[in-house]
Parts: sequence; structure tokens; C-alpha cells
Amino acid sequence: MNEHEFQLMQLADSFFPSGMFGLSGGMESFVKSDRVRNGNDILSFIRQQIKFQIVPCDCAVLVAVMKAAKKGDIAGAVAADNKYYSMKLVREVRIASSRSGRQLLRTLLHMANNKFARKFYAKVEAKESAGTYPACLAVTAGALGIPEKSSLRMMLYSYCVSVVGSAVRLAVISHIEGQSILAQLTGDVNSAKAGSNVANLWQLAPLSEILQMQHEQDDSRMFIT
Amino acid sequence: MTRRIPRLGIGGPVGSGKTRLIEQIVPVLSRQGYHCCIISNDVVSKEDAERMQRTLATESRLMPEDMIIGIATGGCPHTAVREDPSINLAVIDEIEQKDPTLDLIIIESGGDNTMTTFSPALADYSIYIVDVAGGDKYPRKRGLGIESCDLLVINKIDLAPHVGANLAVMKRDSALVRPNKPVEFVNCKTGAGVDRVTNHIVRDILFDRPLQRKRKR
Repeated sequence: MNEHEFQLMQLADSFFPSGMFGLSGGMESFVKSDRVRNGNDILSFIRQQIKFQIVPCDCAVLVAVMKAAKKGDIAGAVAADNKYYSMKLVREVRIASSRSGRQLLRTLLHMANNKFARKFYAKVEAKESAGTYPACLAVTAGALGIPEKSSLRMMLYSYCVSVVGSAVRLAVISHIEGQSILAQLTGDVNSAKAGSNVANLWQLAPLSEILQMQHEQDDSRMFIT
Repeated sequence: MTRRIPRLGIGGPVGSGKTRLIEQIVPVLSRQGYHCCIISNDVVSKEDAERMQRTLATESRLMPEDMIIGIATGGCPHTAVREDPSINLAVIDEIEQKDPTLDLIIIESGGDNTMTTFSPALADYSIYIVDVAGGDKYPRKRGLGIESCDLLVINKIDLAPHVGANLAVMKRDSALVRPNKPVEFVNCKTGAGVDRVTNHIVRDILFDRPLQRKRKR
């Protein structure tokens, strides 16, 4: 086992306390609005989200912050973190991302003594940096010595597990179908490439955003997002 | 560095009376000068948080509405307070920064007796509440909720004769499965026995003398 593989498995494990189990990434609102009804719809939903939101925005921030961390560039990491926060139009998505990001950093500080992570955490605590999940995951992965490419795949894998897991809990698919969908996403995760230029961050998921804004107002719901 | 506010976890099965217990203890604590915040981990709906916002904030003005916070738990309430309390802890951070003068943060979560307990990182003291309608075998059947809590509360005692539950049996069995740990019998509808529950809270979490403290902010 390579040195970083254990840390990679630890972070990707659903047992790792990231609060992700409370998020459906928009799946709940798509199910409620009858836009997702079966396994094929779920696969298609995840692929669209990866292509139009997760890779160009979340993954790009992850890579940008990892590069900044490597150079010790706190200002660069903070800028990428705050840009990501400003791009998330759904209030609950922004809040959930910052809450889980901050807790992730706290957990990291109990796992590793890393100067950059301590500095970044101080910026988050001082409210100078939003502490979003992709930025904090980047700081965490960097501090644990996980390479960029593996970190990017880990984040995508965790996203897929979180969304598929929510679909299982929403009773759209069975647990076995969930594993089949994850297996079909292997190529999508492995082939993903993200840029690192914060100026080029983009996302285009208007339907998902509108449905999640409606989700915020729902009287009955299982997930935060 | 913000002040760490004491945290009380209240768990119990759906319909056992968690929200009603909070609605009873907050006014008692308020009369003694204690100021609380409530985090309600909802399984599906915002019903409980919204109800408490109405009863404890809008109607009785015991606390500001924004001090009653609902959290959706992804269908796993006990995971949110036991294995991965990240989101609850993040909300507590925000509360502690917003009002460090609070005396108590109450964290409510639904969850069955077999699996529900609070992470030590989340709650300093925990109450598990059951009701007599589940049968007088409830304490005897054990479970993490009943066995691990600091205070076991048995609610709806007025229903005992109607459902064939023997309170003496529940008391005896509670002592057997929870040696040296307290149990209180209450009727949250009328408030009977609630003062004893608040006395535990004042003494064991707030480290104060019950019914002695009077304070105004």
C-alpha cells in the first residue's frame, strides 16, 4: 500500500464524519418533482451534475486549493474558497458546504499537524475564508499527502456515493441497484479532469438550483439539500 | 475563543414526547433565569422546530425565534447525533459565536431505543424519553438509548391504566438495567413531574442549585 492510500480510504469512507449523509445533492428535489423515477434517471442526473457542476466548479476549486497549499499560498486558497462560496446560488448549499468544510478541518487538525492547514483554519475561524467543503477537502488531502489526481477522484466518488445513497434512502432504487449505478460511474470518475484557474470556474445547472431553492421551502424533507 | 455552552441531548422514539418535554422544561428554566437554545434534528418534517418556534418564541416570548433551529438529518437521526455529529457541531459553533451568554443548548433527536445515544463530542448530558404506551416491558428490554442515557424519563403516566402498563414494574426494571442512574415518571401534557427533570438539569449540567437561582439579563 502506498503511503497515502490509507488516508485516501479513510477520507472516502462513508464512516468519515463529513456530514455528507445529510445531503442529497439535489436528488430529493428531483425525486419529489418526479424528474427522477428509476436507476437510469439517477445515472443520468449524476452524469449531468458531474459534467456541468461538480467538475468545472467543485473539482476545479479542489485542484486550485491543493496547488495553492503546495506553494504555501494562503491568499490563493482563500480566494478560491470565497469564489466557490459566491458561485453557489442556493443558500442551503452554501451553508451546508461551509458547515461540513469547517468540521472536516477540525477533524484534520486531530489527525495531522500541518502548518498550512492550521493557517487556513485560522482564516476560516476569522471568517476571512468561507471554509467550503471542496476547499477544506483540498487542504485536508494536501496535509495527508494525497496526490491531486487521487483527491479529485476521491471527491467525485464521495459525491456519487452520497447521491446514490440518498436515492436508496428515498426508496427510488434498491441497495443492489445503487452499487450497480456506482460501478457504471467508474469511467466518469476516472476520466475526470479539472482546471485550476479560479478565474475560469463555471457551472451551469439552473434546473437543479431552482429545484433546490424550492426544496429549502418544503415542509417535509429528509435531506438538507 | 468562544465560551463552551453546556449541551443537553434529548432523544426518544417518535411520539414519545421529546418536543412536549422541551416545551415544559424551557419555561421552568426560564423562570429560574436560564436562557436556552434548541436544535431539533427532524427526521422528515420541520413540524417540531416550527411548533417550538410558535410555542416558545412567538406565543410565550421565552426565546428568540432564531434560537430554535431545525436540522434535516438525511433520514438517519441517530447518525446525526451519534456517529457523525458534524452538522450539529457546526450549528453549535455558530450559536456559541452568536450568543455566548446562553446557559444551555438543547439538542433534540428522534431515534429508537436500540440505537440512539449522543456522541460525547455533542452532548454533555443526555435524557432518553419513552412513554408507557410502548408497554411496561420497555425498560426491561434494554437498548443503547435506555441504558446509556444519564436520565431516563417515562412519559404519559396517565395512560398506564388504559394500556395495562404497571409503573412499579417499569421503575423496578429501570433500576435493574440502569443501576445508580435516575429515572423520572412524568406527564408532559399536564407538567406533572417535569420539575424533577429540570432539577436534574440544573444540578447535573448547569451545576447550580435547583430553584435557587434568579437572574435577569
